[in-house]
Amino acid sequence: MKAKGFSYLKKITAVDYNDRFEVVYILHNLSTNEESIINVKLPHENPSIDSVIGLFRAADWYEREMYEMFGIEVKGRKVRRLLLEEWNSDEYPLRKSFTWGADYRNGKDGASQ
Amino acid sequence: MTIMRINVGPIHPSTHGVLRLVVDVDGDTIKGVTPHIGFLHRGVEKLMENRMYMQSPSYTEKLDYVASLSWDDLYVSTVELAIGKEVKEAAQVARVVMLELQRIASHLIWLGTQCNELGQMFTMFMWCMRERQEILKFLEDISGTRMFYVNLRLGGFNKQLPADFVDRAHRLVDYLERNFASYPDVTESDPIFMERMKNVGILDRDTAIEYGVSGPVLRGSGVEYDIRKNMPYYIYDKVKFIVPTGSKGDNFDRYRVRYREMLESIKIIRQALDMMPKDPDVLGVPVKLIGPAAKPDIVVNHRELPKGEGIIYMVPDKQKPYRISLRSPTFINLSVLPKIAEGAKFADLVVISGSLDMVMGEIDR
Repeated sequence: MKAKGFSYLKKITAVDYNDRFEVVYILHNLSTNEESIINVKLPHENPSIDSVIGLFRAADWYEREMYEMFGIEVKGRKVRRLLLEEWNSDEYPLRKSFTWGADYRNGKDGASQ
Repeated sequence: MTIMRINVGPIHPSTHGVLRLVVDVDGDTIKGVTPHIGFLHRGVEKLMENRMYMQSPSYTEKLDYVASLSWDDLYVSTVELAIGKEVKEAAQVARVVMLELQRIASHLIWLGTQCNELGQMFTMFMWCMRERQEILKFLEDISGTRMFYVNLRLGGFNKQLPADFVDRAHRLVDYLERNFASYPDVTESDPIFMERMKNVGILDRDTAIEYGVSGPVLRGSGVEYDIRKNMPYYIYDKVKFIVPTGSKGDNFDRYRVRYREMLESIKIIRQALDMMPKDPDVLGVPVKLIGPAAKPDIVVNHRELPKGEGIIYMVPDKQKPYRISLRSPTFINLSVLPKIAEGAKFADLVVISGSLDMVMGEIDR
């Protein structure tokens, strides 16, 4: 993609679909003004994906955030420090299985809200 | 040569919120900066997944609390796309007028605090606050609140515009233009300002693209990329304006881009006001307990926020978003700080980080 001129990486994010993860890359071609969105499907068990930091430096913080929020392992990175906060748990906040509020405090795994 | 490690923040008046920087210095020269973020993390994305569509604007407004309307517009227009709701023509015009005023207000805050950080105490800051106050008064009279408006509804606004909207807006931009003309006397003619802005914090074009920065930081490095031009929304394809760009990518270019953007915004507002129909009807759909249902299709929406490009990637469910992902421009703009601060003097660190125009509410989300 980068060879075709899509050199501007705008966003990496992920979606938890309960049975799979989707990693989303939003790229832009600055010379032709085209946008391209790439969705990569990953299995729900032990998801991992190769880092694109060698191609786009912009991927650095997004990949760290994605690991922290979704637990998607990013292979081939040097820096592994968590980005947003110290979080010593194997729970990942933006997964759908993560519950919060009163349910979280009581240790129940009921539906959120 | 000994490297000393200095901690700056998270409670520090010049880091614009709760940003912590760990700085390695050799004498007075910066050898490395490591930003630590997350002190203001609230999990906005998770919260919004558990709220009805029209409950969330009060969250999006608090992301960038100096330009709350811009984020509000990004979110509400994403929901409008998801449920297939057209925005009334007069409402489009009124939104553009208010968004551009919000952009000016945001740039004014930046300019005022930046001049404070340069040690040019309070002249510029007071001027900027004076002008911003007029803008906030105008927006307050439309919405009822001073900073967090929450007045956008699907398809329009929560109530009709005041009768003297167009006249007042004209008077306001005349006032702003008159006062902006005197700004360069205090900035560009001031040796302190120029010494510390010129050739400091240089971010060249290729590095800017590689790091994915956006907004005035990207344009200051000479890339002509503005969502208002590249992917026009509302009436931006019908108004004439130029996208200011810099050449070198130093602090001064970023200042210059923002200053010229404020003048361009005035031009946009004047043209938009001429397009305003007589007796404008801007009323949107009132907020109900059960809102209109969204089609289950991925929605990607772009807006040019005052600080850069905002994107919302939304997977809608019927009444709530299934997943909502926010691209905050300053999050990625901050990631370039270690690169451009390296080799600079320690005293310039707050000036360089200030020139990126960060808001921690938006970075941490």
